[in-house]
Amino acid sequence: MTMDDLAPRIAAYLARKMPQASQIEVSGVSRIHGGASRETFRLSASWSESGKSKTRPLILRRDPVASLIETERDIEYNAYRAFHPTGLPVPEPLYLETDLKWLDRPFFIMEQIEGCSAASPFNAEPYGPLAETLGRQFWTHLGRIAAADPKAIGFDANMGDIAPADCWKHELDKWEKVIDEDELAPQPVARAAIRWLRRNPPPPPPKISVVHGDYRTGNFLFNPEGHIRAILDWEMCHLGDPLEDVAWAADPLWAFQRPDRPGGMIGRAEAFAIWEKESGLKVDPERLRWWEVFNSLKGLAIWISAGKEYQTGANRDPVLAFSSWYCTDVHNRVLAKRLAELSREARQ
Amino acid sequence: MKPDVDQVMQGFFGTLLMDVAPHLNAEYSMGNVGIMGMMMFMTAEEHDRAAEIRVAENTEMRALFGEAARVVEDASLKARLGEAAGSRDASLRIKALDRANAALGGLLVDLQTHVEASKAPWAGPLEARIWDYLVAATERRKLPFPSLG
Repeated sequence: MTMDDLAPRIAAYLARKMPQASQIEVSGVSRIHGGASRETFRLSASWSESGKSKTRPLILRRDPVASLIETERDIEYNAYRAFHPTGLPVPEPLYLETDLKWLDRPFFIMEQIEGCSAASPFNAEPYGPLAETLGRQFWTHLGRIAAADPKAIGFDANMGDIAPADCWKHELDKWEKVIDEDELAPQPVARAAIRWLRRNPPPPPPKISVVHGDYRTGNFLFNPEGHIRAILDWEMCHLGDPLEDVAWAADPLWAFQRPDRPGGMIGRAEAFAIWEKESGLKVDPERLRWWEVFNSLKGLAIWISAGKEYQTGANRDPVLAFSSWYCTDVHNRVLAKRLAELSREARQ
Repeated sequence: MKPDVDQVMQGFFGTLLMDVAPHLNAEYSMGNVGIMGMMMFMTAEEHDRAAEIRVAENTEMRALFGEAARVVEDASLKARLGEAAGSRDASLRIKALDRANAALGGLLVDLQTHVEASKAPWAGPLEARIWDYLVAATERRKLPFPSLG
């Protein structure tokens, strides 16, 4: 299906969802790069309503045939729906559609945040002179996500309950299964990490929080004035230990070659202090260590899965091949060094 | 084969980035060209070193298995270690080296699992020896990343 084919089909869908509108036209359909877990398109919708002409820039996220992360689009959509009224910068979600007759695959439509950009996590200075101001907002918003009451904002809809003592095992089981199913060659470092994680379970978190699941450099939009306008890519969100997000945001992969400055923004000490103040929670070193090792393993699981998608021809998006080469390489090195130290400590 | 593969890959990387990408007007296509260019840059290095890395890893794992076979008590594992220690790479084609590497890597997982569970005096030094290998192997495989200014 070409972009030209998509426009009238999206217009037909909008006509169904907006009975008050007439003369609906969709233009400027353009695929955005990097959304390897879901095809993301930018577009503009215009229509007549009550005698007035209206235009609204929109984003369409459609399920791919196969993806970097196999997730349900309704979980991501519900995260936007839960957090949008809270004031956290997320796009307004508009329509969720699972009927394949419209665009062949499930999709959702949300507000397009204009005049903003994301940044590449693989750039030594992803935010240039805006690094400090964006870094403070980045950790403030993550603290607010951790502080949110999942039930009160409706985030927990269609999610099973999970006890604080079980969240580590739930996540580890999930990602070990991905490696079991998708590895194309034995993974000694990943397997050693899984064994270490099972031998050394973390203390339970003081409460269950919303976990974004992919909160990092590149997954938020900011404007030229240095304001974060949208936190994106909630496809891996779930309920769990809020330190899971802290560890992922501070993972060395997103810091290029500066692990002391998570995400290329501000130093770890300042970042964690901001998060603690905003969340009302503490960065417990023992739990953080466990989630740091876990997140590097989770990364490996994602990159291993991406490599299989590409190798089998299920999805030939170049970003899958790139992440399987480069990100596997980084996380294997990070984990090998970390686990070697932990092994020495355990034997002493 | 001249020009050398690494020169061609690095040349293509430059052409994609400087000559092709600026003339594309679709954001998705530009992103893909950028990623393909970076992977050509990495391929330039990987092509040159791929066989050497795999031969080194396979040789080191076999040496490690030979040492482990002398101390491990589990008869089945001991036999597998001894057999792997005596194997050789019959072909230098990458796919053949990868097959051997995968077989040896699988045995390494089994050995490391066994060693971690052991309290025998040899277990600590052998575990450290395995980690020395894994740290060196992952460092050796580090991919070059282009500096884009």
